[in-house]
Amino acid sequence: MTEYFLHIAIISGLYIILALSLNLIIGYCGQVSLGHAAFYGLGAYTSALITIHWQVSFFLALPVAAVVAALFGLGLGIPTLRLKDDYLAIVTLGFGVIVDLILLNLDVTGGPDGLARIPPPRLGGIDFRDKVWYLLLVALVVAFTLGLISRLVHSRHGRALKAIRDHEITARVMGINASAYKISIFTLAAGLAGLAGSLYAHYITFINPESFGLHTSILVLTMVVLGGMGSILGSVVGAGVLTILPELFRRFADYQDLAYGAMLIALLIWRPQGLLGSGKISRKFSLAKNRAKKER
Amino acid sequence: MLLQQILNGLTAGSVYALIALGYTMIYGILGLINFAQGELYMAGAFATVLLLTAYKVNFFVAFFFGMGVAAVLGVILERIAFRPLRGGHPLVPLISAIGASIFLQSLALLLFGPADRSFPIQFEFAALEIAGVSVSTLQLAIFGAALFFMALLVAFVKYTKFGKAIMATALDQDTARLMGINVDRMIAITFFIGSALSGAAGIMMAIYYNTTYPRMGLLPGLKAFSAAVLGGVGNIPGAIVGGLLLGVAENLGAGYLSSGYKDAVAFAILIIVLLVRPKGLLGGRSH
Repeated sequence: MTEYFLHIAIISGLYIILALSLNLIIGYCGQVSLGHAAFYGLGAYTSALITIHWQVSFFLALPVAAVVAALFGLGLGIPTLRLKDDYLAIVTLGFGVIVDLILLNLDVTGGPDGLARIPPPRLGGIDFRDKVWYLLLVALVVAFTLGLISRLVHSRHGRALKAIRDHEITARVMGINASAYKISIFTLAAGLAGLAGSLYAHYITFINPESFGLHTSILVLTMVVLGGMGSILGSVVGAGVLTILPELFRRFADYQDLAYGAMLIALLIWRPQGLLGSGKISRKFSLAKNRAKKER
Repeated sequence: MLLQQILNGLTAGSVYALIALGYTMIYGILGLINFAQGELYMAGAFATVLLLTAYKVNFFVAFFFGMGVAAVLGVILERIAFRPLRGGHPLVPLISAIGASIFLQSLALLLFGPADRSFPIQFEFAALEIAGVSVSTLQLAIFGAALFFMALLVAFVKYTKFGKAIMATALDQDTARLMGINVDRMIAITFFIGSALSGAAGIMMAIYYNTTYPRMGLLPGLKAFSAAVLGGVGNIPGAIVGGLLLGVAENLGAGYLSSGYKDAVAFAILIIVLLVRPKGLLGGRSH
């Protein structure tokens, strides 16, 4: 039983990293990524492949996975985030489909069977097959992510990002390069998703493309909206709730996606600030409402 | 060989163009990418297939029934998922559309199961040989029907009062309202027409590939969006040109490069257009 709770805690930790990073994109780029699971998958496959084929240590593979995912994020962000229109959602949706296609078709990724026997991390005498140690490892990365994001949000760059979020044109007038900021944030978020992917691969030790599809991207998006768009604590809570709830309602597993879809619409209509949204984002949305009318 | 690929491409492309028209009209009027467009395509196909399986009705009756179901579903969608959120941050209706898309897709999966369904009517189609290129009358019928719907739409927008009112609403909602146009109704009509066209596209593809399944809308939806961007989002002739070009490019890519990555061609085109000419070939309107 303890094993089971540890497992849930570890999985929650991974989703917290994913939700936090997606929340960065939503809260600070004002756009949605539907390819977050693809970055997660890229991280998982990168880390798995280099540890299997080159016997690289997990502790080196983890940052490499993050960098690879971040580079893909940069490649997608540059053509998409320079533009005024909201193309990111559909471009990342397409990216997710392509990554899926490539993982299924390449020999090196094992096609639909995926990769098995991914080595669990080892450090000195510590064996991370013990779930307690793995949970500690995940908790460290979650803490790192939380620290990084809260430092970022409260720094000079964080203030620039808020200025862009609240009124992009004014921010540009003040000399803030909005596109560069958005692309950097998107790249960072992709890298964090890669980090989570690596942790997932070495925990489960078996991966296939199924775990990194649109379903997972939508799940993470629902976590962010449920917790509150733009709220750091909200993403943590949203990820926790949506990891634990499906475990309690195993019998209704077939209805999961249906519930997420309905939940997204219902939340946006009745509680757009989510469970823990401080109202900042909802105020932002009402600000944007007046602005949209004026600009039209 | 080259001519053959172009011809196959034009057939698929004419269907992409029909879906792209829905995207472009809705984007034009609301500034919203309707993620559920692919699901309306799926709904049209399912409605027709199920009706034909259950009752022995005339094919054309079933075809218009499918279009009608997609159209009504589109209007309901606008009423429930988009209208309450109108005027807010563009992110909000976008996420709502994503929710609607996943909701409809999983609803279809629960109601109809994951299996492929073949089209209930077997048509007798002849293969014609024109200048060394084989053309089936099915391809000609699809291409012809798509062109017919496009012509109908262009005529509607250009020459009817409703069409002009829709254009006025797309240009400036407040001014349109001042001119006595019922903006809500124009948006509903836009959804009705765009969804009906997507439904028609779904039925044609269900006949062409002889399969109907809950996730059938995902890829055509994505490709049609790429087509709309290629032609210029918000631009009606642009959606038609973009759809046809994309269909041809995809088939040439599959024929001369690698058939395994056929579905990636549309995505590559989308990225290139966004990098090189984000307003599209014919120029779109930015919202």
